[in-house]
Amino acid sequence: MLSTPFRSQRGALAILLTVGALAVSGATTTKVFTQQQKRWWAFQKVVKPPVPAVRNTSWVKNDIDAFVLSKLEAKSVAPNPSADKVTLIRRATLDLTGLPPTPAEVQAFTGDTSANAFEKVVDRLLASPRYGERWARHWLDLARYADSEGFKSDETRPNVWRYRDYVINSLNSDKPYDRFVKEQIAGDELYPNDPEALVATGFNRHFPDESNARNVMQRRQELLNDVTDTVGATFLGMTFGCARCHDHKFDPILHKDYYRLQAFFANTRIEDQAALLKPEDSKTWETQYDAWDAQTKTVRADMHKLVEPAIAAVYKENFDKFPEEIQMAINTTPDSRTPFQWQMYHKSKWTLALSDEDAAKKLRGDPAKKYAELNTELAKSDSIKPVNKPIAQAMIDNGTDSPKTFVLRAGAWDAPTDEVQPGFLSIIDPADAKIVPTVGVKSTGRRTVLANWLADPQNPLSTRVIVNRVWHLHFGRGIAGTPSDFGVMGERPVNPQLLDFLTANFVEGGWSIKKLHKQIMLSSTYQLSSGFQQAAAEADPDNKLMWKFNRRRMEGESIRDSMLSTSGILNTKMGGPGVFPPLPEGVVTRGGWKTNEDESERTRRSVYVFVRRNTRYPMFEAFDMPDTNETCSRRTQTVTPSQSLELLNNELVVDWAKAFAGRVLNDGGMTQEAQVDRAYKLAYSRTPSEEERSLALTFLRKQVHILAEQAKKNQKLIVPRNLPAGVIPVHAAALVDLCHMLFNSNEFLYLD
Amino acid sequence: MLDRLSHNWRVQSRRQFFTQAGSGLAGIALANLLHQDGALAASAPVDPMAPKQPHHAPKAKSIIWLFMEGGPSHIDLFDPKPKLKELNGQPMPASFGKVVTAMGTANNTLMASQRTFKQHGQSGLWVSDWYPNIAEHVDDLAVIRSCWADGLNHVGSVSQMNTGDILAGRPSMGAWLTYGLGSANRNLPSFVVLLDDKEPVGGTKIWSSGFLPASFQGTQFRQGDTPILHLKAPNGISDEEQRGKLAYLKELNQRYDQQRSDDSELDARVRSYELAYQMQSAAPEAVDLNSETAATKKMYGIDDPETAAYGKNCLMARRLVERGVRFVELYCGSGSGWDAHNNIEGNHSKWCRASDKPIAGLLADLKSRGMLKDTLVVWGGEFGRTPFNEKGTGRDHNPWGFTMWMAGGGVKGGQTIGETDEIGLRGVGERYHVHDIHASILDLLGLDHERLTYTRNGRAERPTIVGGSVIKNLTT
Repeated sequence: MLSTPFRSQRGALAILLTVGALAVSGATTTKVFTQQQKRWWAFQKVVKPPVPAVRNTSWVKNDIDAFVLSKLEAKSVAPNPSADKVTLIRRATLDLTGLPPTPAEVQAFTGDTSANAFEKVVDRLLASPRYGERWARHWLDLARYADSEGFKSDETRPNVWRYRDYVINSLNSDKPYDRFVKEQIAGDELYPNDPEALVATGFNRHFPDESNARNVMQRRQELLNDVTDTVGATFLGMTFGCARCHDHKFDPILHKDYYRLQAFFANTRIEDQAALLKPEDSKTWETQYDAWDAQTKTVRADMHKLVEPAIAAVYKENFDKFPEEIQMAINTTPDSRTPFQWQMYHKSKWTLALSDEDAAKKLRGDPAKKYAELNTELAKSDSIKPVNKPIAQAMIDNGTDSPKTFVLRAGAWDAPTDEVQPGFLSIIDPADAKIVPTVGVKSTGRRTVLANWLADPQNPLSTRVIVNRVWHLHFGRGIAGTPSDFGVMGERPVNPQLLDFLTANFVEGGWSIKKLHKQIMLSSTYQLSSGFQQAAAEADPDNKLMWKFNRRRMEGESIRDSMLSTSGILNTKMGGPGVFPPLPEGVVTRGGWKTNEDESERTRRSVYVFVRRNTRYPMFEAFDMPDTNETCSRRTQTVTPSQSLELLNNELVVDWAKAFAGRVLNDGGMTQEAQVDRAYKLAYSRTPSEEERSLALTFLRKQVHILAEQAKKNQKLIVPRNLPAGVIPVHAAALVDLCHMLFNSNEFLYLD
Repeated sequence: MLDRLSHNWRVQSRRQFFTQAGSGLAGIALANLLHQDGALAASAPVDPMAPKQPHHAPKAKSIIWLFMEGGPSHIDLFDPKPKLKELNGQPMPASFGKVVTAMGTANNTLMASQRTFKQHGQSGLWVSDWYPNIAEHVDDLAVIRSCWADGLNHVGSVSQMNTGDILAGRPSMGAWLTYGLGSANRNLPSFVVLLDDKEPVGGTKIWSSGFLPASFQGTQFRQGDTPILHLKAPNGISDEEQRGKLAYLKELNQRYDQQRSDDSELDARVRSYELAYQMQSAAPEAVDLNSETAATKKMYGIDDPETAAYGKNCLMARRLVERGVRFVELYCGSGSGWDAHNNIEGNHSKWCRASDKPIAGLLADLKSRGMLKDTLVVWGGEFGRTPFNEKGTGRDHNPWGFTMWMAGGGVKGGQTIGETDEIGLRGVGERYHVHDIHASILDLLGLDHERLTYTRNGRAERPTIVGGSVIKNLTT
């Protein structure tokens, strides 16, 4: 009945020694790949295929269409007609920015009869800062981004938001994808003078972490596993996780390949105080700091004396909780610490430390009083103190020597077998990677090698993977349907020639994601209507060949943003620490949730909402926001009553409906007809049909009747703030109801 | 091929098959099929709660998991150790082997139980005087004495007992069950969590759906008459007003959907509003104990402040199961209440008292209503406690050997399964890992833990990860 290896009894000290020295041989055997494995599509070099000839040439707007149409024609399936202009601008705007178009934007496009009218729209949207905010969210899913640690206490990571802003800025500035990859894998080594690149390394720092872990050796291995899995899935589209314990059962990923990839990260450590100043600014800062330091030295020394016992007590208490070998790593003098001990030291030291400020909170009576006095004294020098340096939470190497990496038997941290060196997938390159020591940075240079390989135009995986992701996000389905699994268990590309064509194009064009967006969106394929065709549906029921556009419900983040935008209350302020919109009453969070006092902060875009690992924002969670504990390449899409309750009964949504109605009253004119028309324009980008208008008016009439009865009973009405003069409250309340239902309707919630 | 693969998905159409398969089913066969036939539709209907066929005839329809959080002491409750009395105050003999404990207490002296154990019922099962009321039901209990787990600490161990893994992130058992069977009701969640105190350690992660779709996660019922988030319309919106709105919404949606009649997801959204509306009244009704008789409430100890909190939750659990909720998890001492590192007498007296009458009441009530036969009741913590003392009066964490019991749902009562060594430190002989417990529970509910899979990152994940066997003799 032994279910898992029974590990708990093995002596941890012996293991530490093993990790440092000898290893048991036998886990890695030389493996010969089959021809079939070698020929697997994803490992083949990307070769730009010729554009196929098609019969219906008039349908072909760009090369994408030729590839799509050739498959359709082969099956005698005719593509749908193009979507109408209103649908198209809604689709493009929601897709690129996560927000509906404004009535003015719709009008400009529908009135523009020039041949490149849609191109102008796409260009405008790609240039909008809202684009990066929308598409960053997709990348953050892959990066398992969160603003907190996870596990029990779920403490805040106060500076990780810079990584979120980094992604937004990178997308908005159309940073070439190869550079984007390199910065995230090895920004610290490759671009040591670029603070942005240091922030980018946060990608590998987003693992959930148990701050109270005592077995730091095991924790180190778990974190390395997380990084390996995430890098493998995100950049290579391969599921490395299976190879943690054994050779991959389906894909040609060897057990040792897992650890070869992991070895690139073997010397990494968290750097949560990474200062983000350029060298010249740093010098100025140091000078200012030194002046302050000199002036306050005595008073701070006196303060420190008061809190010293508390600091020592915390140190002892926490030190004693660590296993012997961690204690040893902490106590070993810096010059004799092994690379492994350095990692143990870095992973444990922060639990031992207590700042003077925090220690002071433990003081009582006279010492507390004295401390406060000294603090007042200290504050007198505040005017010459430089503002705190901007800080990033980054991932760097811990010096030039790395701990060894071993293949672990069954993935157990304490069961090392053969030692391995950094290397790529054996099927692509069985040799050890050639590591070149970094110059000017105390680092192993390992990640530089990996970064360059991932960003190599010849890499068959990383290039195809990103192109397929972008396609997947535009169409709700990738050319290969499993964006993070290009292996045997994944789905083969429906149109491999198209994928290779786009990939070759993408690399040639300088790895520009914006160019790829534009290429895709200007195709007839993207502009197809989502309508139903019996014959096509019979030939291709799952729309694999793309005879229609795939209608889909928007993500929770876009739903919220769309409601805010439609109501006219979206705050488009960009960047900065996560914001805390109100949580529903009774939702408790460990780690804290202090709703922003400034109300305008509460209506900022969803991408800025603080991501607390253990408490997904309920509205996003209801609409399938993924768990942030691991990388997610494809969100599930469900339909549940809790989603309906969320939109129907959440007071925030009702508040936004109130603002929406207020906006309608202000710009819609006094007649109910005009109000209905305006509400439709704002929510659906179109005017209602006669029938729809009369339906709305009937509804308003009925609601007015119900509300008037309620008002008679002195029940409070839900009406917009600052009602324009002359508006009857029950009419306004009925309009709130109408606006609220527009928010709930399929037409509002679907990208069509 | 479809027949072979559709073990738990009721497949109506080819398209739906692929959608459902994509979100659920796994295996090489499926991957091959997809490769032959193409891939998943992007916008296809996904009703995650639609009832699905079990793998085999289930013995239990629902499960009530009584989670004694913090780790109850098996050697003071269900697993008497006369030898421990003998060795009281002495260091643990080397023959029992060394262990590394959470608090470094392995070298502390052994501490005998201060409880009095007696045999009860026809079966003569041993229960200590801390659980006098539960003792009256021993003939319905299968007491598993040789359970073991991997974690030393609460976060990992509570996580493992719920998800199979000491690291957070995998789906909770209730999520797996709902995924495998769908929901047996249409207006309440299928997996409900009830707390009697603080949030359990590990937080909401422990009833998470992990990598399964979010809709399978547990719903923590809140206190008061609106147990579910956003269950009530905001103040100022009357039922009549809301019904008027919903009627209009239906018209809006039907108009939109008419031109898109091929898209059943749109239709599902219309239905989800009807369900939401029903839920608004069904959920408060389910947690409203006013319709229960005074005698019933008394049976659960609701009349006594010391037993009222857990008693209410136990009664609520029965009501929820009656209404088709599949999985109710009731934490007792939520927030690590049972964690008696010192003064185990005081600590366990309190929590045993808080849970004894409510649990006994639940068992009696289920039995008298004929519900026990298809409701599985599981009792246990995340681990047990050590035979050696901590701080003189307490006991440390013991994941090497501890007791859980099951009742109802096809379980054969009045038996003990497995044993621990003479001092209750480790399970000996046939030992049952958490994965075995999980496999057995799923088995009772009609699911094969090895076939209940979900493809994630190319791997067919299952609730028991890579282990687990169904416990022998549990039902016979």
